[in-house]
Amino acid sequence: MAYEIVMPQLTDTMEVGKIVRWLKKEGDYVEVNEPIVEIESDKAIMEVPSLRAGYLTKILAEEGEEIPVGSVIAIISESKEEKLDEKSEEKQKPQEKEETQKELVLPQEEIKVEVKQLPPATASPVAKVLAKENGIDIKTLQEEGKLPIPAHEKDVKSYLINEKFQEDAINFLKDYQLNPEDVAKTFSEKEKITIEDVKNFVTINNIPLKKSITSIRKSLIKNLKTSLEIPVFHIFTELDFSNIPKESGFTITTWFIKILGDCIYQYEKLRTRTDEEFYYVYPTANISVAVDVSGELFAPVIKSIEKKSLTEISQELENIKQKAKEGRFSREDLEGATFSVSNLGMYNVTMFDAIIPPNCAGIVAVGKIVNNVAKLTFSFDHRILNGREGAEFINLLQSKFKDSDYIKSLMG
Amino acid sequence: MQQSLAEKFYYLMKLGRVFELRAKEEYMKGNIGGFLHLAIGEEAVHVGATVAFEKGDIFTHYRDHVYAIAKGIEPKYLMAELFGKKTGVAKGKGGSMHFFEPSLNFYGGNAIVGAHIPHAVGMAYARKYRGENTGVLVAFGDGATNSGNFYESLNLASLWKLPIVFLCENNLYAIGTRIDRASAITDIYLKAKPYMMAKQIDGMDVFEVYKAVMEAKEYIQEESKPYFIEALTYRYEPHSMSDTGNYRSARELEIAKSKDPIERLKKSGLLSESYIKYIDDLVEKEIEEAVEFAKNSPEPEETELYTDIYCEVCKNVIP
Amino acid sequence: MLYREALNLALDEMMEKDETVVVLGEDVGFYGGNYRVTEGLYAKYGERRVIDTPIAENSIVGTAIGMALGGLRPVAEIMTANFAMLAMDQIVNSMSKLRYMSGGKLLLPMVVRMPQGVVKQLASQHSQSLESMFACVPGIRVFTASDCITAYHGLKTAIMLDDPVIFLEHTLLYFEKFEFSKDSFYNPFKARVLKEGKDLTIFSYLKMVHDVMKVVTQIENTLNISVEVIDVGPLNPLDLETLTNSVKKTKRFVIVEENPKHGGFGATILSAVLEETFYNLDAPPLRIAGEDTPIPYNRKLELLAIPTPEKIYSKIVKWGKENGL
Repeated sequence: MAYEIVMPQLTDTMEVGKIVRWLKKEGDYVEVNEPIVEIESDKAIMEVPSLRAGYLTKILAEEGEEIPVGSVIAIISESKEEKLDEKSEEKQKPQEKEETQKELVLPQEEIKVEVKQLPPATASPVAKVLAKENGIDIKTLQEEGKLPIPAHEKDVKSYLINEKFQEDAINFLKDYQLNPEDVAKTFSEKEKITIEDVKNFVTINNIPLKKSITSIRKSLIKNLKTSLEIPVFHIFTELDFSNIPKESGFTITTWFIKILGDCIYQYEKLRTRTDEEFYYVYPTANISVAVDVSGELFAPVIKSIEKKSLTEISQELENIKQKAKEGRFSREDLEGATFSVSNLGMYNVTMFDAIIPPNCAGIVAVGKIVNNVAKLTFSFDHRILNGREGAEFINLLQSKFKDSDYIKSLMG
Repeated sequence: MQQSLAEKFYYLMKLGRVFELRAKEEYMKGNIGGFLHLAIGEEAVHVGATVAFEKGDIFTHYRDHVYAIAKGIEPKYLMAELFGKKTGVAKGKGGSMHFFEPSLNFYGGNAIVGAHIPHAVGMAYARKYRGENTGVLVAFGDGATNSGNFYESLNLASLWKLPIVFLCENNLYAIGTRIDRASAITDIYLKAKPYMMAKQIDGMDVFEVYKAVMEAKEYIQEESKPYFIEALTYRYEPHSMSDTGNYRSARELEIAKSKDPIERLKKSGLLSESYIKYIDDLVEKEIEEAVEFAKNSPEPEETELYTDIYCEVCKNVIP
Repeated sequence: MLYREALNLALDEMMEKDETVVVLGEDVGFYGGNYRVTEGLYAKYGERRVIDTPIAENSIVGTAIGMALGGLRPVAEIMTANFAMLAMDQIVNSMSKLRYMSGGKLLLPMVVRMPQGVVKQLASQHSQSLESMFACVPGIRVFTASDCITAYHGLKTAIMLDDPVIFLEHTLLYFEKFEFSKDSFYNPFKARVLKEGKDLTIFSYLKMVHDVMKVVTQIENTLNISVEVIDVGPLNPLDLETLTNSVKKTKRFVIVEENPKHGGFGATILSAVLEETFYNLDAPPLRIAGEDTPIPYNRKLELLAIPTPEKIYSKIVKWGKENGL
């Protein structure tokens, strides 16, 4: 049977002990009461005798090491060869967990607070002084429910502020994250501070309105920054829409997405994304469409375009508009595109550039149609395709727009 | 030599006695407050020991008037102290029980029975440490020899081989409790015997006290070891002014008074009638002047309440 | 550096510099000090200056008084504050008063050092915090040392002072490591602001300072406030200026002390600060102190009897919530 020798508690104040010197080495036979190790406690260096006879089969703490009281520092066994299995050795190795054991455990549950039942007029001395200075009567206000019982300094202060400012003025200051107390100082002569006063204050002092950024916007910013790391090249071109029937009942966008989707289906490189270790080629043509809904930019995805009719795509675009209005895109709605479309034609934009969203091989920015022709800016991920390939793809797209039979077939 | 000593003893014992008798009178008139412990009857011990220890350090109990006078403090400053006046030896902050004059090596007046004995031991340590060999004398009553301070001090003085004379004034009473009702050993020098040289002497004979203390002083200075003297004496007055003294018989007091140290010295033949007369007049005058001085001295200022507690130059020490 | 090493260094430097400095006490010499504070001094300065005494606390202080009268600067060690009760006569009746009773003629440049406080299962007679007993006696300075800086600089100053000083240490701090610098400025007559804050001041001293610091961030987070922590430092004289200035700023204060609440030293701090700051206060002050019981042996009961970081946290949070924080 193995006997564990632990770091002994040698003094009243001792928590750790330092191994000064081992007086025996592994394999030595030890008699009862024979000193085996010198330990430095907080008070002195002492020889520690063995309480058992046997072979010192394992020394678990090196000279110079500081070991918490109670941790195993050596093993004494009856036979010289007694083997310790790895697991128990692991367990017996003095741990540095003492620190974590001593870590504070603060009460997790809510600390119970006793509500004091006190009569009106009860207030802290400093609250009373403040009330007196400002000519308000704490008792009356407490009876009217305008101050809590007991009243503290902050209660009186906030009461005074509310008195000094019109309500909308306070709210206005809150929007600007201004401390009403500080602002009040500049209006000390005024009885009541109005919204106009504080608006003036903000204008005169050129104070910016600090607005928080929504989580959607934050993730967009993050994506845009990631996108900027993508090596990109641009191709500027024009697209002739004259073969698209005017009275088809489908919007130009619907037509464009359908034809673009069919081209992508044919052109593998635009169904590809990369993590720079591998290319991942997707089997269907999925295009995301940039939609701006009251300042927030979404890019919902229309999937498997090659299989979908103009009617179906038209319907999906309607759905997207609806969902955008309600702001309820699911994660699925926004994932899976390998190419993206951004259209500012309706805003009378001739030509512009767009940033490739993460995981897309490219994006096309569509300007307004003048005399059936729109100016397009393609941005491609250079890691996925080269300039020639980009041009090849564009040629494919342009040829599709010229192909009357194909267009007719889409009308089905 | 003998005669000049006798003259000195007579002057100091007489001065002490008249001082105390006058203090008693002033106390009863209400000019002196608090406790007043008189040493009348014990002058031979106080004067004999102090004269022998002229240059050494003396630590005493609260019955300290005659020691202070014998050590050379002018009676007027002592009387002013009793009156609680600003001109008193301790600015009126100590009173009867707390006469001190370190410039005369007088560390007197401690009013906790026995508490000053370790102080004297510490002083002896310091003197030895600094190589100063004038010796230390500590006087205490028989009552103190039953306290822990006493035994702890005997042990330390002996252990550390300190040049100190322990002088026990055995006046047989610890306040109102006679020695055989308070102490298992009534020959007090026997308590010290295991630790050091110890002897018992007649404390009503000023010459014997002087001689014994001189011998002790020489011994401690030469040997750097402590020495113990028990002087048998008697106080005529009660323990303090508030004590009735009814625990002693009139007969006992009468016997004691018959050994009066001043009367004994007068009968020794060493002093002339004219000298005695001269001294008696001188002492009367000196004490009268002391009382006048005390009466006419101002009260301490109110600010004095707050001084002499802490060091005022502490700021120099702060980094 | 260990706390005890800082004390040792202070003693060593003062003994080196000033021949009149001597150390005395039980086991201080040959043995090296029960808590190793005087370790090495015996070998360096000899038995004449590092004086082993019998177990006679009354005479340790009593002879130290005599040594001080005789021109030395004794530093007496009382093994623990519990044993100082045997020396209380000397401390209270002589050490604190000889100067005054002599009209300023006697000076006692001396220090009586001692550790106090709850250690670990030492039971009632070895676990007390008795600072109130010393701090209530005019005529002695009472300093406390909560870390190496206060231990080193405080003890050196105490030795240099012409006043008698009771120098209080905490047994559990002896083997703690703290930041140390010889150059750091420390005035043992001043309290120290360990952490600045604006909504609440916590006063404590000796070991409690560290227990407070352990939970101050959690208190701040839970109550959403900022807390000022002050090591009160000297107990006599109190640095009332630093204490009241802080409370005038924060308007709230809590005192954390290890001694029993009844008659505990926090009551003195509280009354002194309250007298000066009543109209500045926004909440009733709070004292977190030891229970009014002897200290038990059993570890669980022992921890119940004194403030712990957990209790400090809970009590301050509860108090804060009940009083407008």
